Amino acid sequence: MNVIDLLITIIVVTILVTIALGVMTYIAYKLRLARRPSQLSDDSSTAQYFVLHEPPDGSEPGEADAT
Amino acid sequence: MPVARNRALISILVIAGVVGTSGLFIYWAANSPLQVQRFLVRLVLISLIIFLAILFIRYFALLWFGYLQHTEKTIRGRVISDFAPPVTVIVPAYNEARVLDDAIAALLALEYPTYEVIIVDDGSTDDTTSVARRWEGRSGNAAVRVLTKANGGKATALNTGIAHAKYGFVLCMDADSWIEPQTLHAVMHHFADPSVGAVAGNVKIINREHWLTRLQALEYIEGLNMPRRAQGFIGAVNIVPGPVGVFRIEALEEVGGYDIDTFAEDADLTLKLITAGWKIIYEDSAVTWTQGPTNMLDLIQQRYRWTRGILQAIRKRKQILLRPFPDFPLWLSAIEMAFEGILWPVLNVYAHLFFAIVALLYGMGELLLYWWILLTLLDLVVALITVSMEEESLSLVPYAIIYRFFFILFLDVTKTFAAIEEALNLGMDWGKLRRIALAPGGEDGSR
Repeated sequence: MNVIDLLITIIVVTILVTIALGVMTYIAYKLRLARRPSQLSDDSSTAQYFVLHEPPDGSEPGEADAT
Repeated sequence: MPVARNRALISILVIAGVVGTSGLFIYWAANSPLQVQRFLVRLVLISLIIFLAILFIRYFALLWFGYLQHTEKTIRGRVISDFAPPVTVIVPAYNEARVLDDAIAALLALEYPTYEVIIVDDGSTDDTTSVARRWEGRSGNAAVRVLTKANGGKATALNTGIAHAKYGFVLCMDADSWIEPQTLHAVMHHFADPSVGAVAGNVKIINREHWLTRLQALEYIEGLNMPRRAQGFIGAVNIVPGPVGVFRIEALEEVGGYDIDTFAEDADLTLKLITAGWKIIYEDSAVTWTQGPTNMLDLIQQRYRWTRGILQAIRKRKQILLRPFPDFPLWLSAIEMAFEGILWPVLNVYAHLFFAIVALLYGMGELLLYWWILLTLLDLVVALITVSMEEESLSLVPYAIIYRFFFILFLDVTKTFAAIEEALNLGMDWGKLRRIALAPGGEDGSR
């Protein structure tokens, strides 16, 4: 195998292996997500992703939080 | 956790569908009649030329406008302005106990006359609150306050900080970032122009000990900051980055602060500001250092969130994509986001796969080799120019050899699947990245 053929082989293998690695790492990421506890304690069908924080009535900007 | 498992299962089915379809196509191509094979070869040749043309045009435009932005500043010289109004720095934190001390220490070293720091603990389950409270009180030119709230996500934490801000300008940052001392001085003079709503800073990777983070360091310079330079020159900055963004409170109040319905609140807010007619500036001397993920799983977790978040922000305003006027900068920003977020990653993956397979099947290996050499030389030259313009370490330039054909291609696989999942509207959550405590001071002695 001459140098040109070797380089071609390296390039093709790199492309295919990188794409395969990307797919496998993505699958591994999804499996890790499935095993990890969710950050949200309640994930019901009506759950929103975030709970909107409402400052208490009568609070004013610039005051230190007492909690 | 049935919901999490179901989501993972659906994602894997999507992956299997995409991979299976691609495999069927390859099998069909390998066993197709001669006429079809000739057509595929011609298609490869045309695709190679189009791919190269798009790449050249993109790089040329980014480098040209980026250079114009760079020389504009060089010609004008350092701006000396006494416009230095007080600023509120907001640090949203969720389980950031390991890194918060360094971030706050860097904030208290800012070279700025008057500012306050508000740390918003978003319902942390570690020692974040106690670490933050150690810094409460007055320190030099700054006052530090700590707010605590129930966990609700970064956007709600930022909105809480904004609601409690004393001053008319806010700097929103990440708890794992370290801001350079001159950042506020570099940024605030832009706000002397009353039409400026926000200024985007320059984010760099600090942890460069690992080959993966060095690739990310190059990516931030070449793939994020250089485009932002070009966007800044033409007045179309489309993302004020989360680690360093300074906003006029009046602009934030006009657009209602951060929305909580996307996972890229920074991109979403920037589009809201542009839609409302505010000018967004890029300031490359407003430097902030942030940690990059050190393993592939964490890296794709980050990029998965970025991709879906950006697509969510675009989806909220999809009608803009078809209307270049009357707001051309907004249209340009949205188009560029859609191109970088969906079209380019998908094209990149399928183009590479297509070229590799057809080269293997039809003996076009030499063409592929010359194409690779051309692209690698282009990448090396672009890396050299962008690294030099940013006055960064030249040791990053050789990483350009594997930048496109390994690093970007690897990430674009994730972006492709993320785009498909977003199109299918599959559920997702934040997924906290692991933090490691670093001493301030990058590998190159940059801080």
